[in-house]
Amino acid sequence: MKKGKKIKKQTRNRRRPFDGLQALFLFLVFCLITLLGAILSNSPRTVSGLAGAVASLQDQSGVESPVTAVLLNFRGYDTLLEVMVLLLAVIGVWSLAKAPFPTPETDISPVQMGVVRLLAPVMCLVAAYLVWQGSHLAGGAFQGGAILGAAGVLLLVSELPWLHAIPVYVLRIGLVLGPLVFVGTALSCLFLTGTLLAYPKGTAGWLILLIETACALSIGLTLALLFGGGRPESDVPGGDSP
Amino acid sequence: MIFLADSPSWMITPVILPLIAGLLCFLFSRRTFVIALITALINLFVACLLIYQLLVFGTIRYYIGGWRPPIGISLRTDGPALLMLLMTAVTGLAITLYARGYFSYRIADPVRGSRHQHQQRYFWPLWMLLLAGLNGLFLSGDIFNLYVTLELIGISAASLAALSGKPASQRASFRYLLISLLGSLTYLLGIVFFYRTCGVLDLGVLQNTAINEPGIRAALALLTVGLLLKTALVPLHFWLPPAHANALAPVSVILSALVVKGSFYLLFRFWFELFAPIVTTSALNFMGTLGAIAILWGGIQAIRQQRLKLMVAYSTVSQLGYLFIAFPLSRTLTGVPVWSAVIFIALTHACAKSAMFMAAGNVYLHLGHDRIRNLDGVRASLPITVFAYGIAGVSLMGLPPSGAFIAKWMLLTSSIDSSQWWWALVIMAGSLLAMVYVFRVMSHFFVIPKRESLKETTPLSPLLEWPALILALIALFLSLLAPWLLHILSQGSTGLAQLFPGGLP
Repeated sequence: MKKGKKIKKQTRNRRRPFDGLQALFLFLVFCLITLLGAILSNSPRTVSGLAGAVASLQDQSGVESPVTAVLLNFRGYDTLLEVMVLLLAVIGVWSLAKAPFPTPETDISPVQMGVVRLLAPVMCLVAAYLVWQGSHLAGGAFQGGAILGAAGVLLLVSELPWLHAIPVYVLRIGLVLGPLVFVGTALSCLFLTGTLLAYPKGTAGWLILLIETACALSIGLTLALLFGGGRPESDVPGGDSP
Repeated sequence: MIFLADSPSWMITPVILPLIAGLLCFLFSRRTFVIALITALINLFVACLLIYQLLVFGTIRYYIGGWRPPIGISLRTDGPALLMLLMTAVTGLAITLYARGYFSYRIADPVRGSRHQHQQRYFWPLWMLLLAGLNGLFLSGDIFNLYVTLELIGISAASLAALSGKPASQRASFRYLLISLLGSLTYLLGIVFFYRTCGVLDLGVLQNTAINEPGIRAALALLTVGLLLKTALVPLHFWLPPAHANALAPVSVILSALVVKGSFYLLFRFWFELFAPIVTTSALNFMGTLGAIAILWGGIQAIRQQRLKLMVAYSTVSQLGYLFIAFPLSRTLTGVPVWSAVIFIALTHACAKSAMFMAAGNVYLHLGHDRIRNLDGVRASLPITVFAYGIAGVSLMGLPPSGAFIAKWMLLTSSIDSSQWWWALVIMAGSLLAMVYVFRVMSHFFVIPKRESLKETTPLSPLLEWPALILALIALFLSLLAPWLLHILSQGSTGLAQLFPGGLP
C-alpha cells in the first residue's frame, strides 16, 4: 500500500496525469472555437474589404505588387513599427543571455562544408532576387530577409571560425541599419514633402527598393542572431561610467 | 514650415523621436543617458505643444504618407489622448532621471558593478522603444496599428521585466511575455472578425459602422479579453504582482505606472466610443463587478504581503479596479463625467504609484531588503523618500487634495444619484483598505530601532529621491489643476460628446 503510493507519487512527478482541470480547459477551448466558427460561417461577408481601394490607387504607389504597395506605401508606418519589433526581439535576447560558447573541437564533416559553400552564395543571390522581385510580384524585405536568415543559420551551425571574429559593433550596425534607413527615409520625406512617409513624386519605387534592401539585410541578421541565442561573447558592457 | 507651432507634423514626434533614440541607445555604448534625457525633455515639450494646438485648433488628424483612411493610417489628437500623452511624458522624464540615479548607485557597488553596467546597457534602448510604443498607442487612430504598438509595448516590457536576471524575475517575466502574447493574439483575432464584418480598420470610419450583429459582438468580446489580460483585471491579474515586484526598481515604475494604463486606455476607448451602441447594461455591470472584486481582493492581498514591493504591486491590482467601477456608472442619465473620472484616476495613479515604487526601490537600495517587518528607522536615514511614500499613499487613499479624491467623489455622487449604492460601498471600502496597507508600512518607517544599528551606507543621490517626491506632490495637488484638465478633456472628444449630450463639465 505504502509502496504503491510512493510509485504513484513518482509517476505523478514524472508525468502529470490528464486531470479534470485540463479536460475542462480543453472542453472550453473546443466550445470557443466552435462558437467562433459558427459566428464566422453565419455572419454574411457584407463588405469586400479594402482590396478595391488598393487596386484603384495602385498606379500612385510606385510599385506593381499590391502587397508591397500596402506594406511600404499605404501602411508603411505599420511596417516601420514591425521592423522595430524585430529589433526589440534581438535586444531582449541579448539582454538575457550570452551565446553558447562554440565548441572548438567539433569536426564538421566535409560534406556539410561542401554543401554550405555551395548553398550560402546561392541563398544570398535568391534573397537579393526576392527583394528586387518585391516591386512587381510576391516578395520583398521579409521574404528576402528570411532566406538571408536561413543562410546565416546554415553558417552558424557549421561553426565557421571567422563568424566569431566579427566585431560586435558590426553586428549592431547591421541590426540597426534597416530600421535606421526606414526612419531616415520617412523623415527625409517629411522634410521634402511635408508629410511623414509621403514619397516625393516619381521616387516612390526607388525609395521603397532602398528601404527593402536595408531591411532585408537587417531582418536576415536579426533572424540569424536570434538563432544564435544570445549576445556575442565579445560584447563588453559599456555605458557611462558613474 | 514643419517646425512652426501650428504645424501638424509635431504629432509624429512623440513616436518617431523615441524610436530614433532607442536605435541610437542600442548602437552606442556611451552617452546613452544623455540621449534618453534629451528625448524625454523634447517629448514633454511636444506633449505640451500638442495640448496648446488642441486648445487653439481643436482635434487634429494626421494622415501618414498622405493617404486618407480607409486606405492609410491616421493619427489623431483629442483631450483624453493628449492627457495620457502628458502623463507618460511627465512620468517618463522622472523615470529617466530616477533610472540614471539607480544605475549610478548600483554600478558604484564594487562587487556587482559590471552586472549592473550590463543591465544599464540594455535598459535605455528598451525603455526608449517602450516609450515610442506607448505614445504611438495613445495617438493612433487605426485598429491594426494599435495592435502593432501593443506588440512593441508588450515585448519591450517583458524584456525590461526580465532585466534583473534573478530566477524569480525571469520566471515571472516569461509568464508575463506569454500572457502578453496571448492578449495580443486575442486582440488580433478580434480585429479579424471586425475587418471581416466592416471592411475598414480606421477608428474614425468604424465609428459609424458598429452595428449589432454576431461578428461585431464576437470582435468586442475578443478585443476586451485580450486587453483585460494585459490590463490585469481580476481574475486575470495573476501575472502582475510577481512580474512587477521582482523587476529592477525603475522597471517596476514603468510597468506599474504606464504599461497597464496603455491597454486600459484602449479598452475604455473601444467601450465608450467605437462599440458604444452595442454595449449593454449587463456587460457594463459585469465589468464593474470585476472591478469591485479587484479593489477588494487587491487591497486584502496588499495587506497580507510581507514584502514592500509585492505590497505596492498588489495595490496596483486594487487601484486598477477603480478604473472599471466607472463602467457601470457611465449609463446614469445626468451626464456624469465618467471619462474625466477615469482620466483623473489614471493620472493620479500613474504619478502616485511611480512615487511609491521609487520609494520602495530606494528603501531596497538602502537596506538591501524590503521585508516590511524590518523597515524600522528608515525615516531617520531617508526622510525625503519616506515623505514621498506618505504623500503617494495619501493620493492612493483618495484624500482631499489629491486627484483621486475628485475622481472618487464623482464616482460616489453618480452611484448615489443613480441609486446604485453598492458601488459607493466598494469605493469606500477600497479607500479603507488602502489606508490600512499604506499605514502598515508607514508605522514601521517611524519606529526608532532599539539597537542603534546605523551601518555606514552610501547616501542616495538626489536623482533617486527627488523624482519620487515631485511625482508624489504632483499627484497630491492634481485637484488644483482640475479645471484646466477638464477644459482639455472637453476639447474635441466627439464620440463622448454624443454619449453625454449634456456636455462634459
